[in-house]
Amino acid sequence: MRGHHPLGEEIQDFADGRLPPARREELEAHLATCPQCGRELERLRWVKAGTARLPMHEPPPDLPARVAQALDGEDRRGSHRSPMRRYLLPAAGILAAAAAVVILVSRGPRDLPSAVGRDFAAYRRAALSLDTASGDGPALERYFARRGLAFRTRVFDLGMMGYGLVGARVHRLDGRPTALFAYRGVDDRTLMCQMFEGSLDELPQGGEPREHNGIEFRIFKEDGLTLVFWMEGSVVCVLVSDVPGEDVVQLAYAKAVKV
Amino acid sequence: MTALDPERKRALFEATALPFTAALYNTALRLTGASADASDLVQETFLRAYRTFENFSLGTNCKAWLLTILYSVHINQRKRAQHAPISLPQEELEALVDEDAAGGDERLPELGERWGLEVDRALRDLAEPLRAAILLVDIEQLPYEEAAVALGWPVGTLRSRLFRARKRLFVTLEGYARATGYLRKPVRPE
Repeated sequence: MRGHHPLGEEIQDFADGRLPPARREELEAHLATCPQCGRELERLRWVKAGTARLPMHEPPPDLPARVAQALDGEDRRGSHRSPMRRYLLPAAGILAAAAAVVILVSRGPRDLPSAVGRDFAAYRRAALSLDTASGDGPALERYFARRGLAFRTRVFDLGMMGYGLVGARVHRLDGRPTALFAYRGVDDRTLMCQMFEGSLDELPQGGEPREHNGIEFRIFKEDGLTLVFWMEGSVVCVLVSDVPGEDVVQLAYAKAVKV
Repeated sequence: MTALDPERKRALFEATALPFTAALYNTALRLTGASADASDLVQETFLRAYRTFENFSLGTNCKAWLLTILYSVHINQRKRAQHAPISLPQEELEALVDEDAAGGDERLPELGERWGLEVDRALRDLAEPLRAAILLVDIEQLPYEEAAVALGWPVGTLRSRLFRARKRLFVTLEGYARATGYLRKPVRPE
């Protein structure tokens, strides 16, 4: 073996870790004594190191919303395809509701801040898309109403605090309909708010209780995120972000109203 | 995967497929060369994937599955648009560059962050099948077998084109390093 040069593609197999152990040992022995093949390996590794340096481009901000719209369209088309769905959907709904009850009971209330945190992380990595892109708060409130949310939403104007609205989504948080909207600040700081019908009693123990202007707040810290919960009437509001925790608290203090 | 309730399907698809948006977009961008075309390609890829989500086996490589769809959509779009043919003459794809004519045995420079744009430019100059091999194996880190399926080639063809692609990249990058004074004479032990 030592006297014969391997083919370049076999040196590539070596560089890519695709050779069986016995052949790999033979080639290693050859490479140790053959400058020509050693240079070939060095060049392949150099190019691989180069492609590892390729810059990654951020997808355009509107791409998640475009994809969501395309999927919505497909969902709507799908719902008209089969007349059997008229009969199957109610049954499926009952089963889904039963499953949701089982899931909620088995998970317990501990999951609510975690679920909000997961949504934030998913949005950050573009795995959770917004249904509509808009910086117009009242328009988003009308959007939530049109999409059938059965409670009044209040989309905050955080422009004075340096955050612009990005858009919104009718979401489901642990199975319940939720108004979700997101903001972007300087340096790509992200803030998310969710509103849903519920109660602070559903939150797990362990959150830090605070009171401000007669409003009760519960603050949770999870995986580098700060989540601030409060109630407005029958609606639970939560602000979440990975910016410094007290900034999130102050934003919540500034925008929460006693209902 | 068995048929899913629509809501469950949507949630599962969003959790399983959409995390690869950035990977698909970057691959699409390097295949099409334009952000708007890349966005269109990604959107169409997700739509087709969603329509056929029941065919995807949970637990298998979702990114490879999505890239298979993306490349297929891309090829079909190119054919429909009657752009320049994607496949170069076989002899051009198979030809090895004479890297030794361009290069010497100087020590290759460290490829720091600043090389990213140069590598991007060199990649753009590759024939598309060679570029696709690099995109899927070196950048998206697919195993040869999955990359070959995604591109619709036998594994042997993938291996061969990947080798040629890397050789061509080497010549281009080495030429840049030489032109910019990054190549140094080696210090050889006596």
